[in-house]
Order: sequence, then structure tokens, then C-alpha cells
Amino acid sequence: MMTSMTTSKIAKHPLEWIVFAVSLAIVTGTVGFLAWDAIQGEDSPALLSIELGRPEPRGGAWGVPVTLHNRGDETAEGVKVEVTLETPGAPPETADFEAAFVPRRSKREGWVTFRNDPSRGRLSGRAAGYSTP
Amino acid sequence: MPTERARTRRADPEERTLARALREYARGVTGGLLFSLPLLYTMEVSWAGFIARPLRLLVYLLAGFLLLFGYNRYAGLREDASWADLAFEAVEELGLGLLVSVCILWLIGQIDSGMPVFEIVGKVVVEGVPAAIGVSVGAAQFGGDGNGGKGSQGMKGREDKENPGLPGHVILGLCGAVLFASNVAPTEEILQIAIESTPWRLLGLAVLSLVLGGVVLFYSDFTGSKPLRPGDRHGSGKVLSLSVISYAVALAASAFILWFFGRFEGVSLAVGVAQTVTLGVASSLGASAGRLLLLS
Repeated sequence: MMTSMTTSKIAKHPLEWIVFAVSLAIVTGTVGFLAWDAIQGEDSPALLSIELGRPEPRGGAWGVPVTLHNRGDETAEGVKVEVTLETPGAPPETADFEAAFVPRRSKREGWVTFRNDPSRGRLSGRAAGYSTP
Repeated sequence: MPTERARTRRADPEERTLARALREYARGVTGGLLFSLPLLYTMEVSWAGFIARPLRLLVYLLAGFLLLFGYNRYAGLREDASWADLAFEAVEELGLGLLVSVCILWLIGQIDSGMPVFEIVGKVVVEGVPAAIGVSVGAAQFGGDGNGGKGSQGMKGREDKENPGLPGHVILGLCGAVLFASNVAPTEEILQIAIESTPWRLLGLAVLSLVLGGVVLFYSDFTGSKPLRPGDRHGSGKVLSLSVISYAVALAASAFILWFFGRFEGVSLAVGVAQTVTLGVASSLGASAGRLLLLS
């Protein structure tokens, strides 16, 4: 009875074969990608770094674009980013924002703003803290 | 084997036409949306797409495929469908489910081309499996005419559906439980309720789930339920055993879903069990009432 269990008993329209072929491609592609990802995935904790962009005047203040990278293999949750501007002759200014999630090997973008012109001082920033989901 | 196919096609009284296939796909996609939209609109579910490791996503995808396979066996296709037919349908439904989830996720801005591939794949897989079960249910059950369904339920299929036996009972219960429980499982509320409830209340929830399951399956006269006649032999024993099996299936489904969403990590056994019981109310309703909807 093996043949009766493996042979199709329900007639199929050509369209169904097309949908089947597309579906098979999607499913095997997805499974293949996940398997490949699982094999080569490592288990390093989240590794966060930030990259500061070019300051530009924005709505009466100076905006600095910040790119937050996670080069580790774990997702970081609630990442707090702090950027400090030290201008000679003025008190240091600190600005911050929080990114809800930075998935593994991904980046997120945000902005910080300052009252003083950042090009006349020194900018430094860091990812101050995060939790693991 | 083109000749073999040509022969079975001529022999099949319900040959599939283009119009019929299109109608089935329309029903399937609608069903997929109906069941997965609450999930597609839940942020925690998208987050699970990038938090979950690839191996866990693979297990989830495989479990989804097996459920589809089982559902098609006991409710979707006619009784004499071969393994090849079941696999064909399951692959089609999974593919359509993933497609539906890609479209909606893109439309609601949850995926875009700037994201790394694994994040897109993760989100699509997490949302795509419930969508695929919805596709399967929609294609099989939303048909207007009596033999609508997969266009292939003969009278034999109907008889089979009315008495699917224990494996069918378990598989259909699992499908219903997963469909209903996955809508609330990823939310914070499950953990919150589980932590705040006293053991006695949790016990109350468990009893409620068990009783609800039995009532829906046997006493409430739901469409498709089996009211017990006074003359039924082994009546009460059967009610009790099937209710307990239903609840066990519901608990297993709850535990799997909670494990997938990482809700067992770093919690004590008591909190894990509490979460499973809390979610068990939803999955028990799904395993009983949802199961009957799937069969209607």
C-alpha cells in the first residue's frame, strides 16, 4: 500500500503547482537561512559602540546624529546612550536617548542635541547601559 | 508520473478548476489575516523575531509545519488524501502564511530593506506560522457550499470529521490551542498575572479551564459538539477522560509557546508553572471551543 500513500490522490490545477513551487522556495529558503545562521552563530554577548555624525543646526540647537552598533550575538534592550560635549570655557553639556532594542549584529539611529556648537568643542559618547531581554 | 496524474484527474469527480483554486486561496489568505492580525499588531511578537535564536525559530517552524500536516489530515482534506497531498497542502499553506506576514509586516513598517536579513526572517517566521494555520483553517472552513472546504471533502471526509478518534482529538485540540493562546502568550500580562496570583487562585484557573473544556465539548450544544444521550455507555468516563486530555493538550501547547517566547528563562519552576496555567485558560478554550470552530 506504500504507493497509495505516496501518490497524490487529489487532482491539482496548474496554478496550485505554481503556488506550491513558490511556497516550497520560500519555505526551503527560510529553513536554509535559519540553519545556516544557527550553524555559524556564536554566543558572544552584546557588544555596543556608537558612532557620532556631523553636527548640524536644528531648530535653534545643534543636532548630532548617533549610530548605535551592536556587534555581538545577543540583543540589547533599553540601551541608554549618553553623549557629552566639552567646550572650552563652558560647563560640559550632556545629552542622552534610549533605544528600545538593538538586535544582534544590527544598528539603530538616534539624535542628541546641544545648545553650544559642537564643532567648537569635543564630543564623546558611550552606550551607558542595557539589559538583556 | 504524468500518466498516473492524468488518470486520477479523470477519475476525480471534483476536478479542480482555476476558479475553485482562486476561491480557495482567497479564503485562505482571509483566514490567515483573521487569525494572525492580532499577532501582527503585537510588538512583543515582532521583538521575538530578533530576540529568538535561529535554532529556536527552526523548532517553531517545524512545529508549525507538523501542526498544518495534522490539521490537513484530520480536518482539511478528505479522508483518503495521501501523505503527498498532505505535504503539498502544508507547504502551500506555510508559504502563503509567510507571504501574508511579509506583506502586512512591510505595510505596518515592521520590516524594511535597511534591516539585517536575520531580523526580517525572524519576524516573518514568528508571524508567519500562525498566519499559515489561519490560511489552512480559512481554506478548509470558510467555504460557502457544503462540499466547499478544500473542494475535496466527500461524504467520507465528513464522517471522519465527526469522529476523528483520539489522535485527531489531540491534533485538532493543539491547533485550536495554538491559534487562541498565541494571541495572548507574548504579552507581559501573562507573566504579571502569574506572579501576582496566589496558588489557590491558580488552582481555580486550572479547574475553570478543565470544566470549560468539558462543558464546551459535551454539554453546551455548541455546533459540532457531542451532547451525551442518556443511553450512552461509558458516558461520564469518556467525558472526564476527553476533558483531561484536552486540558493536557492545552497545557502542553501553552508551555511550548511560552518556551518559544523565552518566558521560562531565569524564572523559578513555580513561576513557569503559574504562567503555563494562566495561559492554559486561553489554550483550553482554544482546544475545546476553537477545535469545534475548526471543524464546523
